[in-house]
Amino acid sequence: MAQLDRKHRVLVVEDEDNIAMALDYLISREGYDYDRIATGGAALARIRETHPDVVLLDVMLPEVSGYEICQGVRLDPSLADVKIILMTARGSAIERRKGMALGADGFISKPFELRELREEVRRLLGQEA
Amino acid sequence: MLMRLGLRLRIFLLFAALACGSLLALIVAGWLVLSRPDSTTVVQTIVQTGLLAGFLTLGLVTAVWYLFDLNVAKPIESLSGLLRARAHADVEGEIDVALARYLGDLAPAASAAARSLAETRGALMESVARETTRLASEKARLETLLSDVPVGVLLCSGDHRLAFYNGQAVELLGAGGLDRSLLDALHPGPIQNAYDRLMEAGDPDAASDLLCTTTRGGRILSARMRLLMPIGTEAGQLAPERPGYVLTLRDVTADLASEARREALLTEVIDQVRRRSGNLSALISARGILTEATPTATQTGRIDAAITEEVEALGRSAQQLAQRVEAGHVEGAALTMTRASDLLDGLRARLATQGLAAEVESDPLLIACNAFEIVALLSALAAEIAGSDHINHFRLLVREDGPGALIRLEWKGGPVALSTLDRRLALPIDPDLEGRTGTAILAAHATDIWPEHSGDKAALCLPIPRARRAVRRPKPINRSVVFDFDLLSRERSASISSAPLEALSYVVFDTETTGLLPAQGDEIVQIAAVRIVNGRRVEGEVFDTLVNPGRPIPPVSTEVHGITDAMVAEAPGVEEVCRQFHEFARGAVLIAHNAPFDMAFLRRREVELGVRFDNPILDTVLLSAVVFGQHEAHSLDALTHRLAITIPEEARHTAIGDTIATADAFLKMLPMLRGKKLTTFGDVLTEVRRHGRLLKDLN
Repeated sequence: MAQLDRKHRVLVVEDEDNIAMALDYLISREGYDYDRIATGGAALARIRETHPDVVLLDVMLPEVSGYEICQGVRLDPSLADVKIILMTARGSAIERRKGMALGADGFISKPFELRELREEVRRLLGQEA
Repeated sequence: MLMRLGLRLRIFLLFAALACGSLLALIVAGWLVLSRPDSTTVVQTIVQTGLLAGFLTLGLVTAVWYLFDLNVAKPIESLSGLLRARAHADVEGEIDVALARYLGDLAPAASAAARSLAETRGALMESVARETTRLASEKARLETLLSDVPVGVLLCSGDHRLAFYNGQAVELLGAGGLDRSLLDALHPGPIQNAYDRLMEAGDPDAASDLLCTTTRGGRILSARMRLLMPIGTEAGQLAPERPGYVLTLRDVTADLASEARREALLTEVIDQVRRRSGNLSALISARGILTEATPTATQTGRIDAAITEEVEALGRSAQQLAQRVEAGHVEGAALTMTRASDLLDGLRARLATQGLAAEVESDPLLIACNAFEIVALLSALAAEIAGSDHINHFRLLVREDGPGALIRLEWKGGPVALSTLDRRLALPIDPDLEGRTGTAILAAHATDIWPEHSGDKAALCLPIPRARRAVRRPKPINRSVVFDFDLLSRERSASISSAPLEALSYVVFDTETTGLLPAQGDEIVQIAAVRIVNGRRVEGEVFDTLVNPGRPIPPVSTEVHGITDAMVAEAPGVEEVCRQFHEFARGAVLIAHNAPFDMAFLRRREVELGVRFDNPILDTVLLSAVVFGQHEAHSLDALTHRLAITIPEEARHTAIGDTIATADAFLKMLPMLRGKKLTTFGDVLTEVRRHGRLLKDLN
């Protein structure tokens, strides 16, 4: 309940600028704080530093994969309350299982509708539509 | 007392007795006539005496003929039959001298000749047998080698008849049979064209690749044909007029279908992308024009809605494409169904070579994978984990997982870092796999691998998308090879009646039935058949099946053949079996012991089956009469006994036991027929018809 008095923070880990821009519009319009990092290498450090409520994590990232970041977050007990949504271009059942096995909380396959993503974020933040 | 006299003296005494008897008859007749009180004229006396003496002499001659037939003619016929069996059919055993006890030394002399023949033959056979054993073991090794070749291999004569085939070829063609035409199993066009191409090239080393289709099932086979030139034939040398050829076969139906699917998918994708991108480009241009011309809200709204629609359609196409590409990977032709337990055993053995222990456990599954790659991948990853975490004991599990299977490599310890895993996957996995990386192996299996952990237990999870439960091992392909290379160079006769007996193909068969009266509804309960090609029984070509007669089997029949209702409950019906048998017997002369009985059961089905059993027919009862004379017994037991063929007791009155005995009897009678100058099918048929009062000839 303590989090209700501050804006939810959403970190986008995405190397494609166009989709990051679209996500920026959506997240800001929803009233969340938007933050973005374009490479996987520094993502884990940023998560530890800013402790976002939700991480929108692209699977195919340069340097370090989204799966690896996901595993890193889940192996860090101090980040247990950080929700992770994996975004993948292929969207296969195997990718979804791998993501879930590594501790992701949600899974969105590209191309996705912003509405679909908004509902997933709301669900994870306990803000059912 | 007579037995002690010489044969010539006995014959002399017989004829002397005949002469004396005639004289005595005349005297007795004269005395009888003259002693009558009412003596008549001289002429009447002479006539009466002559008539009486004539009748008495006739009686005497008849008695002498009877004795001669019983003690001379019949024993000579029996003896000649026995001698022919020993001379031509390799029959051994003493000749019973009591058979011709009034023929002096003939029977003991024949017996001695037969004994001497047997001894000479025995010595010869012994040395032949030694050499044969040596050759047979070499032949067996070669057969094993050939039967293990993973492709179908055929050798055909120039007129496309099979002289060699292996089990894989039968599996691919759905048919086999020495001396059968390949063109019955494969559409002739490509085969004949390839043959003509090779004949035209005239190069003994040339091979021709072709694609052919089976006549049944439309299977597409990739084949390679090479002509069989006699050993030592050089290029440019004169080849036989129509040499045989070797044909190797591989099923490419799945390859071609998958190729066609990929092609169709690509065409569809290109079409979708081109259409949508064209639409988008047009709509965006329209949007630009509208912006310049201060459009209404409705106009821009419509254009925006159209753009959204096109973008969504493009997204959907991309998704569908991804799913179908993945499904294509899962169906991948290179992935074979591997027994999970076999895979784990292989993996455990591989780990053992790296000094790692593993216990294995699997559900009874067949999983679609390239087993060598999966074993290499998991053992490389286990080595990586063992190296970094000092683990030397693993647990390997394969569990059913939806439509697929999940392989788990478990150990006690911390989870493996994805960075470590990904780094290893990016490297070549095994020196034998030519630089193939773990990532490539995973992609080929349309899967991925990830670590899991819980408490002090960690695991790597590798799902395999396609698997099925292994109920029981499928019926193994009969891997034996069947061949007779003499068929490659055999001359063929234009008509069956002029064909030499050895050149014909025969199907010898026997049936067991519910009773003896087909016309009153009795049916077949078992049928067995073997093929004889080129004068020998083909071991690999046997037809043997129980038949469900569709009616109860009377206990009295069960007593004869031992077949019960329960045994035939799951067997195919009469119609299906008759059809299969008709196919098995195609192009062959049918042989049975008492053929009219067995043929009656088959021929009454002809109308409903729409096929005709119009094969030429030989009956071993009639052949026995031709070879041994009509006076002998011609039951199968008597015939096989005469020919020294043993039917094992447990096989007697089983269809296959009697069939093999009949076939062997026929093969032993072949040289005996030749000895009687009956060399062609026509000769035998003419001779057989002379014994029509024994049995009806069915031809």
